[in-house]
Amino acid sequence: MHDARDVEDKRLLEAGDHKLLLAGYFHAVRELCFLRLRDREAADEAAQIVFLRLFSELQRRKTYSVPFRVVVWKVVEWTVRGFYPGAKQDETLPDDWDPAAGDEYEGVEDIYDFGRLIADLPDRQREVLDLIHRQGLSHEQAAERLGLTRNAVDQALHNGHRKLAEKLGA
Amino acid sequence: MRSTRRSITAIASWRRSSVPEQVAQLFAEYADAYARGERPRAEEYLARAGGQADELAGLLERFVQATPAREPDPETLALTEAWLTGEPPLVGLRASKGMRVDEVVDALVERLGLDPAKRAKVKRYYQRLEGGLLEPSRVSRKVWDVLTGLVGQRSEELAAWHVRPPAGSGYLRAAEPAAAPPQVAEHGDEEADEIDLLFLGEGR
Repeated sequence: MHDARDVEDKRLLEAGDHKLLLAGYFHAVRELCFLRLRDREAADEAAQIVFLRLFSELQRRKTYSVPFRVVVWKVVEWTVRGFYPGAKQDETLPDDWDPAAGDEYEGVEDIYDFGRLIADLPDRQREVLDLIHRQGLSHEQAAERLGLTRNAVDQALHNGHRKLAEKLGA
Repeated sequence: MRSTRRSITAIASWRRSSVPEQVAQLFAEYADAYARGERPRAEEYLARAGGQADELAGLLERFVQATPAREPDPETLALTEAWLTGEPPLVGLRASKGMRVDEVVDALVERLGLDPAKRAKVKRYYQRLEGGLLEPSRVSRKVWDVLTGLVGQRSEELAAWHVRPPAGSGYLRAAEPAAAPPQVAEHGDEEADEIDLLFLGEGR
């Protein structure tokens, strides 16, 4: 459940503000490409290809039946494959690809659903992570909303992230 | 209907998880930085993880994909535009602030107390810097301080991105100096003056 972000992505798609839409994924795509390839130069090369691919599709008014973030991760997946040693040249994403095809979309939703990931955290940690990561509030805003000190928010956030590490590593 | 079996399994096994202490700590530091609106770089955290880098990388992969994207700042927007158009990102950032090159140059001359007669030389250097043709680490801190005030806090980072046409194989972040010759004057056979040292010095 990325409700707020999905709504914003949908708004930007409808408004045709493709650069702003893509810019929201800039850091995450660069990081993901690096984590897969472990080479910053190759990762940035791959990330730029991802953005050009997506921009090209958006300019051609391609529509998607899944949230845009799912499209982004699938294009990253396809693109980095081409950077692995021994990758076949014909292993490129077809123009008519369907991000909702098969059960891959369900897999993405299951694994990368932030709301589900934090669902089992202790209440305060879950609330803080939800406000900051999912609703985009600042630490100060989260503190005010929850009636906590800034320090308490920092602590809950850090402890929540440590628990999240355990969950992601399970 | 979507299957939730994988998630339920993950939740059930959560408390049995045995992520090493160091990995959990580094992951939390990365996530904390991200939550503060910073742009943590995975390579720095993986380097600190040593032999546990692969385990940390797996966690970070899932984190960056699961965490909702944030609204981009003007600098990130400029970088994205640069990737899509092939324009140097510092150009886009300056333009987004509504500033002309001449305004930036005038500010550099005035705030750095430079000789107004050498304004044209300052402009040539600034245009090379903006175009990714100077190595940012050799540019004086005084220059960056002025530029930060004019076009944004990440002007130095943006200047380090070298232009490569979108049709090519990518956009490179500076790992090696763009202007390779280690000369300290605009033209190699001249004696370096104050302006040369500001842009081709040792970055102090």
